[in-house]
Amino acid sequence: MAKYEVTKSVDVRGEVCPVPDVETKRALKKMKAGEILEVWIDYAMSKERIPEAVKGMGHEVLEIEEVGNSEWKIYIKVK
Amino acid sequence: MAWTGLLVGLVFGIILQRGRVCFNSAFRDVLLFKDNYLWKLGFLAVGLQMITVLFVAQMGWIRIAPPTLNLFGNIVGAYVFGLGMVLAGGCASGVTYRSGEGMTTAMIAAVFYGIGAMAMRGGVFSPIRTWASQFNVSVDANSSVYLDKVGPTLATVLNINPWIPAVILAAVLLWYTLGTKTTERKTKFNWKVAAVSLAILSPIAWITSEAAGRNYGFGITGGWVSIFDSYISNQPLRWDGFEIIGIILGALIASLLAKEFKLRMPKNPKTYLVVMIGGTMMGAGASLAGGCNIGHFLAGLPTLAISSIIASVFLILGNWTMAYILYRK
Repeated sequence: MAKYEVTKSVDVRGEVCPVPDVETKRALKKMKAGEILEVWIDYAMSKERIPEAVKGMGHEVLEIEEVGNSEWKIYIKVK
Repeated sequence: MAWTGLLVGLVFGIILQRGRVCFNSAFRDVLLFKDNYLWKLGFLAVGLQMITVLFVAQMGWIRIAPPTLNLFGNIVGAYVFGLGMVLAGGCASGVTYRSGEGMTTAMIAAVFYGIGAMAMRGGVFSPIRTWASQFNVSVDANSSVYLDKVGPTLATVLNINPWIPAVILAAVLLWYTLGTKTTERKTKFNWKVAAVSLAILSPIAWITSEAAGRNYGFGITGGWVSIFDSYISNQPLRWDGFEIIGIILGALIASLLAKEFKLRMPKNPKTYLVVMIGGTMMGAGASLAGGCNIGHFLAGLPTLAISSIIASVFLILGNWTMAYILYRK
């Protein structure tokens, strides 16, 4: 069962730097306030950089969930 | 003594992996994300090394070899390198340590990087390098901390003691990196710790590398060339070839311990073609420029070489150009 009512999901596992960051930004731009974006990553650096960038844009990071070996899902609530 | 490169490389690889030290990100994040975390890591490491490397030279343990100035090579080569690293998804050191973390695109980029450098050194691109060599500028050193013949530095141009510009610039960089606001990032291996670690390891790299007959500090390009020289034509592996193997092993060990190792693959195979082109541009560019982001930026800037200052500016501009084209929106 999904933890959150995810509106949109981006799977950027395996992508070269900074595609995960840029795809996250692009997805957020198209979303409305209150919606939730799920970003699926497998690179540790993205886990450190994306949440800070997203907060800088004014959105809320709900959770960074470890979902496997070097895999995480970042849940972002659009503000 | 070439094997000492393996030990230095191991520690270097661990620092790069734990610190996420990628200069492609460092340069680009400032422009695209207004994020100066890695940018500051790089400049703090450069500032500190201005002192640590000069210190071991003053003690007589090494003689600094600032890279030869070549305006054409330093500008064009570094700019092509800068464009290429965005396509490759990492700088020279970035694709090297990420190979150890299991990123398959980085492995491909690194191999094409080495081949590109060899093609510029003695292959299809070599006429460009041969033609450009007429612009090489070396001068007589004005201090015993340098080799007799060196690429011009701020100290030789102004004919002053190398300590004067080194101390002034180190102070400016320390003030800038530590005294102004830094982007937050939740990391286990803080940027300051990484920069200090690099500044301590750097003179050790110089000392061991010189003892093995290679007059330079950290480097990536020559190391990949050495690996291919050894693999394809049986030449003995040089210090920097050992260093590359060390970096990959260090990053492998560090990422395994941190549970960050994974064989990663992009969904769109086109990405592999893009990193091949990027890697080739990086290798050819670095060989023409006389160094990559490590040879010119991390290791070259602390020597105050004019060539490294110019090359650093243009590899950052190349990076910004391609990052702007691909990722601005």
